[in-house]
Amino acid sequence: MLRVVRSELTRLAQRRTLLVWFGLMALFALMVNTVMGAAVGQLDPNMPSPGVSFPTPAELEAPSGLMAGLSAASNMFGVVTLSMWAFFTAQDYSSGLIRLLVAGEPRRWRLLAGKSIALVGVTAVAVTVAALANIVAAPAVAASGISTAAWGTDLPTVIGEAWVNLFLSQLVWGVLGLVIAVLSRSAMVAVSIGVGYVLVVESLIRMVDGAPVDQLLGTTLGAIAKGGTTAVSYSSALALGAAYVIVGLVLAGIVFTRRDVTD
Amino acid sequence: MLSFRLAAREQRRHAARNAKGSRNVGIEAVVMYVSTHSHTESPMTVVTTTDLTRRFGAITALDAVSLELPPGGIVGLVGPNGSGKSTLIRTLLGLIRPTSGTATVLGHPITSPKTYASGVGTMIESPAFVASLSARANLTSLAHLHGTPMRRVDEVLAQVGLLGRDREPVRRFSLGMKQRLGIAAALLTDPGLLILDEPTNGLDPAGIVEIRGLLQAIAREGRTVIVSSHLLSELEAICDHLVVIRFGKLLFAGPMAELLKRTREHIDIAPEHAADLERLATALRDSGWELVPTDTGLRVLAGADRTAALNRAAATAGITLSRLVFAQDSLEELFLEMTGRVDGELAGARASGEGTVA
Repeated sequence: MLRVVRSELTRLAQRRTLLVWFGLMALFALMVNTVMGAAVGQLDPNMPSPGVSFPTPAELEAPSGLMAGLSAASNMFGVVTLSMWAFFTAQDYSSGLIRLLVAGEPRRWRLLAGKSIALVGVTAVAVTVAALANIVAAPAVAASGISTAAWGTDLPTVIGEAWVNLFLSQLVWGVLGLVIAVLSRSAMVAVSIGVGYVLVVESLIRMVDGAPVDQLLGTTLGAIAKGGTTAVSYSSALALGAAYVIVGLVLAGIVFTRRDVTD
Repeated sequence: MLSFRLAAREQRRHAARNAKGSRNVGIEAVVMYVSTHSHTESPMTVVTTTDLTRRFGAITALDAVSLELPPGGIVGLVGPNGSGKSTLIRTLLGLIRPTSGTATVLGHPITSPKTYASGVGTMIESPAFVASLSARANLTSLAHLHGTPMRRVDEVLAQVGLLGRDREPVRRFSLGMKQRLGIAAALLTDPGLLILDEPTNGLDPAGIVEIRGLLQAIAREGRTVIVSSHLLSELEAICDHLVVIRFGKLLFAGPMAELLKRTREHIDIAPEHAADLERLATALRDSGWELVPTDTGLRVLAGADRTAALNRAAATAGITLSRLVFAQDSLEELFLEMTGRVDGELAGARASGEGTVA
């Protein structure tokens, strides 16, 4: 398995694509903190805002307020992560490399597992980049008059929890991208479906009275990134997220190991 | 020596069985191999198929193909587009499962491709790489996958003449360079068998010559190279053995020399005056000569030993020949006769239900 992971990591080292990935993560972290700094208090946390869920002033003034930008933009980060996982997965099909890989390692599940592990590693780096960018940009929030006095309290725990929560949510996003890319063999289709679902379909479902919004993917992943919400507890969100991952990977595994990869 | 004799006997036995089983093919398939190459610890045959069949819905891509390929040398797998070459290659590599029949590669059943994957180097259709990565990074990735020592990357890059360009992104490579890189990737595991699907596809004549030379050099190392093409002319100069398929059926499998024996001799003639052509044809037919018209005269189906007699027959009819040339059908002509002269024939056959894919 180690050799498959090393092989995948070598192919993932595409400088320009990784720069785009890490750059977008940093950019969204900077953007969300800038917006929060300019307009916090004026933004309704319950306002339908696809991809972003702004914190309240009270949440921002808490010790965890330093990292609030990460959870606020977690779904935007998720769109980037989904796109990148989908891109790197679909690239094997679009380049024709999949035939060579399968011929070299006929145990296809190893290829899928190796790619997933490698992408998990790169996602960890991307989340770290986002966290660092967030820490750099967070003082901008103070410009809106928010007190940042409590921000230094238990700093390692605050940063660690925010990182872990964002990382876990990004893993679900990534697996979603991988699954759709395996099914569609196209990064464009995978990104369109993933982004379209979260930003359009879920927004529409939320408008329907009585719809099970707490079980929706975006809600679940947002709850993981925030470490739980009033509507969805952290443990429930994690359980639901894990279910999404398991079902997704099993589906992708079945399709990948059984489908003809030569056409 | 004893083992070689036993191997040869076994091969002949298989050949006889194979020829017997292929009578319904139309043109009898001949399978008779005794390898002239020595390949240490190589199996008796590198590829064996028995009634290998693959269907895609109503289309039969491989139709009960039975053959045995010997170790060593270059084996040309030729057939028109859509004849089933790629399907055969993909089936042998375990990428697709046969509908029925069995096959072994390097002595291992194709149902367990992991047992022979490291012994087979492949290039399937076009060379496939991550365009933004360098040639070296692409090969390094594959070397990691195979668990191959990194020194092999340098060795194969040198072997295909890309060592000086190995740090450039593959997207800057010409098609010929990409094909060479594809062959380098196939050589990474130092395999005894290379299966290359149309490695000269899209190349200019100079590129084709370059790849031919590379394949010959690889074969001289004692490896077996199976190379497919839809043009026999691309391969006939370098192949030791040939497999011809059409509509998924095996038409011929054997040494090139065996196919050469099937080429027919003929004598091309033309009268001094074009107006005499009809009279000449009638006179020769009446004398029992077998002939067909050509653009410039007549083609008489006869060997070189009949040249003088033919000349006398024309003179007896009062016609002077301005042209009398002995020749032999080219392999390409024989190939076209076996496989169909134009793609239209394939299209027609496909429409009538004989269709194939890949």
